[in-house]
Amino acid sequence: MAFLRRNDGAEALGVGYQIPRNSLALLMVAQAVVVLPHARHISFWIVAVGLFCGCWRWMVFQGRWDYPQRWVKALLVAASAIGVGVSGQSVFSLETATGLLIVAFALKLVEMKSRRDAYLVIYLCYFIIAAEFLFDQSIAVAIYGALAMVIVTAAFVGLHQLHTRVSVSTSLRTAAVLVMQAVPLMLVLFLFFPRVAPLWSVPLPGGTRTGISEQIAPGDIAALTRSDEIAFRAVFDGPMPRPRDLYWRGLVYSNFSQGTWSVGAASAAREDRPIYAGDDRGFAPEVSGINALSYQVLLEPTQASWLFALDVAMPASHGTALTRDFRLVADEPVRTTTRYSAWAYPGAAIDPTLPDWLRQRETRLPEDDNPRIVAFAADLASRTDGPEAFLASVLEYIRTEPFFYTLNPPTLSNRGSIDAFWFDSRRGFCSHFAGAFVYLARAVGIPARMIGGYQGGEINPVTGHLVVRQFDAHAWAEVWLEGRGWVRMDPTAAVAPARIESGLDAALSENDRAVLSAVTGRRFDGVPGLRDVLYLFESMEHRWNLWVVGYDTETQARYLADLLGEVTPTRVGLAMLFGGAASLALVVLSLFWRRRPAPDHPAHRIFRRFSRGMARSGLARRPDETPGQFLRRVNAARNRDASEVAPLIDHLDALLYNPDVVCTKTALRSLRSGLRRLQVDVSLRLRS
Amino acid sequence: MAVELSAFERSPRFSRWLDRRIPPTRRLTLSQQSIFIFPTVTGFLFGGLIVLLIVGAINYQNSLVYGVAFTLGSLFLVTILYTFRNLSGLTIELMSVGTGFVGEDVEFQVRVSRPKGKSREGIQLGWLGAIAQWAELYDSEACSVRLFVRAQRRGWLDPGRLLIETQYPLGLLRAWTWVDLGARALVYPEPLFIDQPDHIARRGEDGELIDPQGSDDFNDMRPYRPGDPVRHVMWRVYARSDQLVVKEYTSYLDPRLMLDFDRVAGGVEERLSRLTGMTLNASRSGREFGLSLPGGKIGPGVGDQHRDSILRALALYGLPQT
Repeated sequence: MAFLRRNDGAEALGVGYQIPRNSLALLMVAQAVVVLPHARHISFWIVAVGLFCGCWRWMVFQGRWDYPQRWVKALLVAASAIGVGVSGQSVFSLETATGLLIVAFALKLVEMKSRRDAYLVIYLCYFIIAAEFLFDQSIAVAIYGALAMVIVTAAFVGLHQLHTRVSVSTSLRTAAVLVMQAVPLMLVLFLFFPRVAPLWSVPLPGGTRTGISEQIAPGDIAALTRSDEIAFRAVFDGPMPRPRDLYWRGLVYSNFSQGTWSVGAASAAREDRPIYAGDDRGFAPEVSGINALSYQVLLEPTQASWLFALDVAMPASHGTALTRDFRLVADEPVRTTTRYSAWAYPGAAIDPTLPDWLRQRETRLPEDDNPRIVAFAADLASRTDGPEAFLASVLEYIRTEPFFYTLNPPTLSNRGSIDAFWFDSRRGFCSHFAGAFVYLARAVGIPARMIGGYQGGEINPVTGHLVVRQFDAHAWAEVWLEGRGWVRMDPTAAVAPARIESGLDAALSENDRAVLSAVTGRRFDGVPGLRDVLYLFESMEHRWNLWVVGYDTETQARYLADLLGEVTPTRVGLAMLFGGAASLALVVLSLFWRRRPAPDHPAHRIFRRFSRGMARSGLARRPDETPGQFLRRVNAARNRDASEVAPLIDHLDALLYNPDVVCTKTALRSLRSGLRRLQVDVSLRLRS
Repeated sequence: MAVELSAFERSPRFSRWLDRRIPPTRRLTLSQQSIFIFPTVTGFLFGGLIVLLIVGAINYQNSLVYGVAFTLGSLFLVTILYTFRNLSGLTIELMSVGTGFVGEDVEFQVRVSRPKGKSREGIQLGWLGAIAQWAELYDSEACSVRLFVRAQRRGWLDPGRLLIETQYPLGLLRAWTWVDLGARALVYPEPLFIDQPDHIARRGEDGELIDPQGSDDFNDMRPYRPGDPVRHVMWRVYARSDQLVVKEYTSYLDPRLMLDFDRVAGGVEERLSRLTGMTLNASRSGREFGLSLPGGKIGPGVGDQHRDSILRALALYGLPQT
């Protein structure tokens, strides 16, 4: 390949090549734009170093400062290293890697001189845009990333434009057109490019855990209600169950100590290992004859592996499994928005016979922690007949006695917390009631456990999907009854039926509701129309999650099956080829399409024919000659005075350029005959 | 930035193939027949970036990272069309060829024009080994580019094929072509000026022209003008009439200066250089002069055309006719 040699020696000195100034300006803007969103999860130090480098480069750009000395750069590296060190994140975490990438990028920017440096910075910009998506894939971030890409591409374009004529706006416009023309092909690739399983495991973004956790202290769930963050969204393939039946089971709390419920450690026994879709192990529930409910959940990151599912759950997605306590779990902690499908078999019996080891686990209570309630239970049991009657009378007791459902229960000490709640404060949130209920059951030897998850949710009227937010977090109880297996019982329904029927809002006192609105700021009931807008945004976000963010191997397989009938490599390849060709054809059309030229001026046509004739006689019109100059030259070739051709030139000029002269047939005819006479005359003379 | 050839393009087979594919012509409109396109190093690295992003997207199962990778991939494919289109349809035409002396840069003017409509950007032209120039076709539909080639030896200078190259818009691809415009520039020998330009001029008694600075014969008398030599003042006349009158002397010389190859010292090239210098001097002083070369003679004459024909004879002396 021949090439225009770029003198790198000279470039290294910064003399041979200068990055076009508009490209440089765009690069600096691009740097700021791509780094900015990362400020949310990388150390502040790194952002500061980045901004400092950007400012320095700007001063160099303005011609005020020189490029930094080596010691300045060393200092910046040290500052960034300290920044990464004090950020408290693991060296191998994604946050650290991104931080280091941004440091390298900022340092490269400050010493950028040659075209090669500029390329490197541009490539890093693209990379950092992509890195942001590892942390956040929302629509807003995607739009921001697209804009950032246009800016980076504009700097890229600017590098190859002529210095004198590039301006920021033309580069931006060109880049925007380029990116837009790339979109159709990108969509084709996005749809058809085979999605494969991860090649190796990578550090995923950490983050704060939200939502319910493995331990429930009495006030925990009440604290969750102060957040209106979305926990997950669900789409049902068939009709949606009533809200009161939507118990999203997530965690099973079997242990109680020091006033706190916690999950039981899974034993290593084979029986306790989770089962996958299609597996058949001893504890799988009997589901034949039950109408299954099929649904998909788009779970926001929880940093934990548990999933939320309706009773009785069966896994349907790859990478999800059913545990011994009939919960759904993912193989990996959920660090990004994750989609899974599941089946629900309402009413299926689970554990119709209870193994001894399990019975032991689910009836265990701490020794003499809450003696009063144990006595209360024994007393109640003696007055009732059998476990079911006992539990019913407990619920009746809650219903009739002055218990209060409130977001702000009094703080209870760890020891004797159940006693204190049941007999003294009588004010509590769902976990108080569920905890006391389980305690009572266990006190009389009924296997019971507390379940944590979400209850209910809100239907978005735009798309019809269910949105479950953090304030829908809930705790309830499960008891094991002979012949029926595990049965769900919700003591909250006894004290505040509205909570179950129509959500938290309805169940709260006026006072609590005011507190909640102030904190979450989500209730805009007073503002007309705003609620609809919020629903619209939420449904857009949902569709985005469903079709874009959640477009994984499974979704692709399903979608391609719909589209192509049968998914074979040949068909997918052909579809990709045709789709790609079609989208590139669009670009070809827009690039090569030439508008039909405006109709030629008739005088021009006549003159052109004359020029062609003269060219055949060996007297071609030079491209830089005006018609007048050419005619004078032709005239000179027959050795005549310039005045002889002057009227002809005037005539032609008038026809071509004078708007007042009407282009009549006679005028054209006289032009044609004049030119023809000249042509014949000159040709004869040239030939002789 | 100078134009260079790769090892591949230096091979005679390539140039023969190129001659068949893009035959020499004074005017050429570029089409897919004549445009080559290939990724640059930057382009290959861009491909590497895309692969890296795809691996990241696979490992993180991240749709938007896939999106970034696919956008960049599509951008690459779209720029193939852009880069190709940037050259396609351009008309390259040789406008004028200058002349020069050995050691000087000879100017070639090449006109580049584009079809109406879409503008073109970032196009560079250059002869092999010379500095490439930008063609500005954004606002105008045509531009003429002045290209210079250093003249190494006298005779016909063939700059070879002209490289027309573009990497617009992203520098990922390079579209280029080699055009043979049949440009040929005449290079005159390097002029050598010597102290006595007329030492070979034949002096005689019976010429027609008069050298006004000569001092051989008394010719006339005229009033003194400041600057006249004092010894020419006719003091006798001054004594009589109180007027300063000077004598005018002139020399007669053969006005037809014949520059003769055989009468100049040195080797062939040195003689030609000296004759070139003399030609320039003679032409500058406006004298009638001629040239005598072994095997040819150009009669005395004046004017630029005459000078150019003499310089041409000097430039081509002893070279095979082509």
